[in-house]
Amino acid sequence: MHSKGMTAATADRQAEMAALVRAHQAGVWRYLRFLGCDPTEADDLVQETFLAVLRKGFEVRSPAETAAYLRTVARNRLLMARRQQSNHPPVVDLEAAEAVWARVAGEDGLSDYLAALGDCLQKAVGPRARQALELQYRDRASRAEIAAELRLAVEGVKTLLRRARSALRDCVERRLGR
Amino acid sequence: MSPVPDPKRDELEDRLMDQALREVLGGETPPELSERVLAAAEKQKSVSPQRKEPVMSKSRGIRWIVGALAACLVVGVTVALLLPAGRFAREAARGPDASGYMMEPQAATVPRAAPSSEASADDESSTAALPQAEPGVGARPPAEVQPGLPHQSATEHKRVLSADLDIPFSVRPLDNEPVPIEPGSEPAISLEEAQRRQRFDDGALWGTSPSGQGPGKGGDQYDRLVENPFRLVKDHPLSTFSIDVDTASYANVRRFLLGEGRLPPPDAVRIEELVNYFKYDYAGPEDDVPFAAHIEAAACPWTEGHRLVRVGLKGKEVGNEERPESNLVFLLDVSGSMNSPDKLPLLKAGMKLLVEQMRPNDRVAIVVYASAEGLALPSTPGSEREEISAALESLRAGGSTAGGAGIELAYRVAQENFIAGGVNRVLLCTDGDFNVGTTSTGDLVRMVEQRAKQGVFLSVLGFGRGNLNDAMMENISNKGNGNYAYIDGITEAHKVLVEQMGGTLVTIAKDVKIQIEFNPARVAAYRLIGYENRILAAEDFNDDKKDAGEIGAGHTVTALYEVVPAGMEVEVPGVDPLKYQTPAAPKDDGATGGELLTLKLRYKQPEADTSRLLEFPLVDQGTRFGQASPDLQFAAAVASFGMLLRDSPHKGTATYEAVREIATASKGADASGYRAEFLQMVGRAKELAEAAGRDE
Repeated sequence: MHSKGMTAATADRQAEMAALVRAHQAGVWRYLRFLGCDPTEADDLVQETFLAVLRKGFEVRSPAETAAYLRTVARNRLLMARRQQSNHPPVVDLEAAEAVWARVAGEDGLSDYLAALGDCLQKAVGPRARQALELQYRDRASRAEIAAELRLAVEGVKTLLRRARSALRDCVERRLGR
Repeated sequence: MSPVPDPKRDELEDRLMDQALREVLGGETPPELSERVLAAAEKQKSVSPQRKEPVMSKSRGIRWIVGALAACLVVGVTVALLLPAGRFAREAARGPDASGYMMEPQAATVPRAAPSSEASADDESSTAALPQAEPGVGARPPAEVQPGLPHQSATEHKRVLSADLDIPFSVRPLDNEPVPIEPGSEPAISLEEAQRRQRFDDGALWGTSPSGQGPGKGGDQYDRLVENPFRLVKDHPLSTFSIDVDTASYANVRRFLLGEGRLPPPDAVRIEELVNYFKYDYAGPEDDVPFAAHIEAAACPWTEGHRLVRVGLKGKEVGNEERPESNLVFLLDVSGSMNSPDKLPLLKAGMKLLVEQMRPNDRVAIVVYASAEGLALPSTPGSEREEISAALESLRAGGSTAGGAGIELAYRVAQENFIAGGVNRVLLCTDGDFNVGTTSTGDLVRMVEQRAKQGVFLSVLGFGRGNLNDAMMENISNKGNGNYAYIDGITEAHKVLVEQMGGTLVTIAKDVKIQIEFNPARVAAYRLIGYENRILAAEDFNDDKKDAGEIGAGHTVTALYEVVPAGMEVEVPGVDPLKYQTPAAPKDDGATGGELLTLKLRYKQPEADTSRLLEFPLVDQGTRFGQASPDLQFAAAVASFGMLLRDSPHKGTATYEAVREIATASKGADASGYRAEFLQMVGRAKELAEAAGRDE
């Protein structure tokens, strides 16, 4: 192999890698958060994941395969990190979490899911439930605060939010056909 | 597996929703880490300069070969009806995950390696993403230097692949057999997985393959189904497909709507299986042909100006009295997963219904498989009904499944009791939790194919809910000249095993293929509704080696085409004008009598190896929809319903209300009540769609 050819190949490789990182870093980060990482740990493990992939060499294939591969690498990185700090076991059952992610979130790192959710928030839940969700997630209000705002019992807020999330899940899944 | 939702999964799905809401409402978006990662990558590279290109090139080379082979396979698969890759997964609802198989680090037939040590985590020599485990791969020279390979037809190529690589068709369900995560070893994705994924993932390849369409990517509970698009007659004058008498999707959709009170996922809806669920009043054949063909055109109810063409086939009726003597072997799954009211008890009840039809000269044997396979009942004359029933009654569920040895035993029993000129059939009843034990799936498929050639056919009856191995069930029933039905209740068991017993047991014609040649003077474009996974290449029509669907006694098969008349505008991207050749000019319309199309059928007698050809031209009389036969109208309503459930881009002006009106008007006598039940489903779907705010 001539050195010139190798340089070109390396440049292509770099471009490929950059594209891979840009396309998937957000998805991998979300996935790691889903697996129980806090934001800082997720930042670090995203980096670890791509570095591991780069060390191994990676051929970009279909989006689904690529995403699945990255998730496995990310999971392994998480496991290794957690082993090093042995007092800090994974928060969720990784296999089950992966199964749910692969089924529901799919290959695009949750983008379609989030888009569908935006739509479902308008269509699948009533105004009161939407208000409760906004109070909880946007304003970070506690259940008691939400209860006061909506003039409900705390228990009622719990039920309202649970039902709303469940309706949203149904709606999103239907929209995604998953 | 279980109809009860898995609490862990439920919790995780809720967790995912929680996270998504934090992002959508709470603004907790992922940071932009690209620059940081790339900078770190740059640093890593300078620290370890010995990372050599050649290593990568080698593995890249292998991946390219795999990619090329997989791409060829995709083409092969589209033309090979033998492997209707996408259909099965939609049949029964399944366990939590299909994408989980992506994480499966080993091929299904390759024993799982012991977890590798952490030290190997970054071991460059372990192929990152593609298999070393597959013996055929490493040994195969690069595709581009392999003489002859590019000249092989896609089909031949696929055969070569299947033979060499022993591609299993099954997917191990994640919930049955958790995939251990092996820290330190990145997943080696096996070749079969790569091919599978290529098949499922690369929608573009399906879209451009000669046979046109097929399933899209592997979703989860159901593989994505890409509906057949309109095709221009000037570019594609021929439409070729294999018949399909399966109806599993209908039973599944019914359970979603009436059983669970929710809309089915779009990909669970296979329109041809919905349409074919119903019996239509087609006249049977009069001469010695095994089936009659009926073809009719009328206005398309959902798109103004389009025409709807219905092709209806009706297999010769064979009454229970005329049915040839039957040698049946029930191969029953009694594994632990069958221990649920909708499985083993239903299976026993269903089999008893069948046993009641048995005549003294018929024979029934029962083979069970679970942790150990065994002969629960040696071949017993039909006159000994009580003994057969008692043997069924004594079955208990327990143990894990090892179907491979069971199926071998079943075939052996069938062969030992072979009735020349009779029905010799193994009926495999399972919830799909079928693993092949020591036999590889490839061997199993070959055995089933081989036994079908020797005259022992295979039928598959699915019970219960939630299994990924529907894939294999469907597959082996196709290879075994059989049929595949999904039994969701005793009514369905009655339909399949009593009312349609002739069709289930007696094959009257095999490898039935349909080819339609459209007259470009009359038709601008057409679209086959459903049958996405049954599309064949035009040249397969005359290829007697090319397997296709079977038709059983009394079966009706209906296919609908939506046709855009010549002169009407079609939004279909055509191809650019050819540079080196002039397209053939259409024949003078007068000379062909103004025919819209010609229907050509090929079939073989059950024992024959060469096919016969039938041709039927159709002249469109301009019939309005309301003047069409009630059967065409009802079939159109069912197709329309399917398109609504799928939220199809081709649904046009269809609404659930319109479906209800048409189906009510064309319901006919409906002695069995199936059409009334359909109306009930339409009503339920309408309510659910309204509640969900889904547009019609």
